Amino acid sequence: MRQIFHGVIGVLLAFSLHVMIAEISPSVVILINVFSLVLIYMAMEKGDVFGSILGMVLGLLQDSFSQGVFGVAGISKCLTGFLAGYVSQKLNVTPFIRKFIFISVLIIFELLVWSGLYIAIGAGSLNESRGLILVQPFFSSLIGCLVFPQVKKLIMKVSQRRI
Amino acid sequence: MPSILKSKKSFIILVVLIILQLILISIQIPGGENVSLFEKTVFSVFSPLQHGFTSLFRGANRLWVNYFTLRDVTQDNLALKQENIFLREENTLLRDALMQFRTEEEIIKLLGKIHDNILPVRTIGYDQGNFIRSLTINRGKNDGLGKNMMVLDRYGNLVGRTIEPISSRQARIQLVTDIESGVSVISQERNVAGILSGDGRGGCQLKYILSTETGLRVGEKVLTSGMDGIYPPKIQVGEIVEIRETSGLFKNITVKTEYTLKDLDNLVVIRIKAEELF
Repeated sequence: MRQIFHGVIGVLLAFSLHVMIAEISPSVVILINVFSLVLIYMAMEKGDVFGSILGMVLGLLQDSFSQGVFGVAGISKCLTGFLAGYVSQKLNVTPFIRKFIFISVLIIFELLVWSGLYIAIGAGSLNESRGLILVQPFFSSLIGCLVFPQVKKLIMKVSQRRI
Repeated sequence: MPSILKSKKSFIILVVLIILQLILISIQIPGGENVSLFEKTVFSVFSPLQHGFTSLFRGANRLWVNYFTLRDVTQDNLALKQENIFLREENTLLRDALMQFRTEEEIIKLLGKIHDNILPVRTIGYDQGNFIRSLTINRGKNDGLGKNMMVLDRYGNLVGRTIEPISSRQARIQLVTDIESGVSVISQERNVAGILSGDGRGGCQLKYILSTETGLRVGEKVLTSGMDGIYPPKIQVGEIVEIRETSGLFKNITVKTEYTLKDLDNLVVIRIKAEELF
């Protein structure tokens, strides 16, 4: 029950952040993949099973608001969530540089799976969003590395106050 | 056996999830433009949420602007902008209509029809995979929206058309810059006909113009031809920015759309079909 609640919070958080970013500029949506950041962060905290399920939900949500084949982002995010949870349990990815590389690799992996599936399905050539998508791993990882520790601090503060 | 299953539990769950989604994908292929019921449901459930979040952020932003900076001026400006959009759209459509010879009675009838079917809408979300392909607006079936309705920007330039899924209060717009879109167009000066579709980089390509064609020039405007049955004729779409000769049968022509990303905030949907307009 607690896991479901956290999942719902994750979906709502990703969605609201996405809307907020889109309000700044549509191009920023491509630069910072908020859905993937929330997914990776929560998968790192909750594990691989949680990551894969949340990944599927967030991916299908992304697909339903995109002009493309429904399910492609679902698969790529499902795999990304699983990997994020699985690898973070085996390796320590807390230091800034490690975390930056870890998130970058995962977002590159997700992009590769996503574009690979598009090509395999033959759903037309992949739009490049004026090349912005190529710098998405860098910007997303940077934002993730800067924001994640602050979020964690905030959660710890809140939970300490409760105690 | 149970212990093996336990250790491999997460992998089994992953495989099951992947298989489920592969089934989901295979159901849609070849699906063409048809949207699956599942996708429609997800869209219908989450689009009001998107609408809510957008309204919340815009509301907070408006509050800040209204109370701390311009107050009444902002309100007036917004009202004038709305009115301006309305008048511009009406003007564009009417100008084209009046170009044709009609009786006074026909013109009055047409005026009423156009006026009643201009629907100002707001963008509440951009394509989460690629912002140059589609966007979501804050009006849906309850406002009389259906598939294949023309969408214009505030200056009367073509932006795209409504596509599925359309929920009761939200709808998706396919932009002309989408690689899968196709608009029948003609050049403004020599009436050279072609098909305009997205180039995948935020611009458009004018397709099927023979290499022997010499009637086009850079800077020439591109208008809808009305031949596709979706868009009425003479709506401004873009401007030719590059013409390249190729060794093939057709020229490589790049068209820049008249609208820019900044113009996609406030749009207008024309709720009648092209053939009913003129």
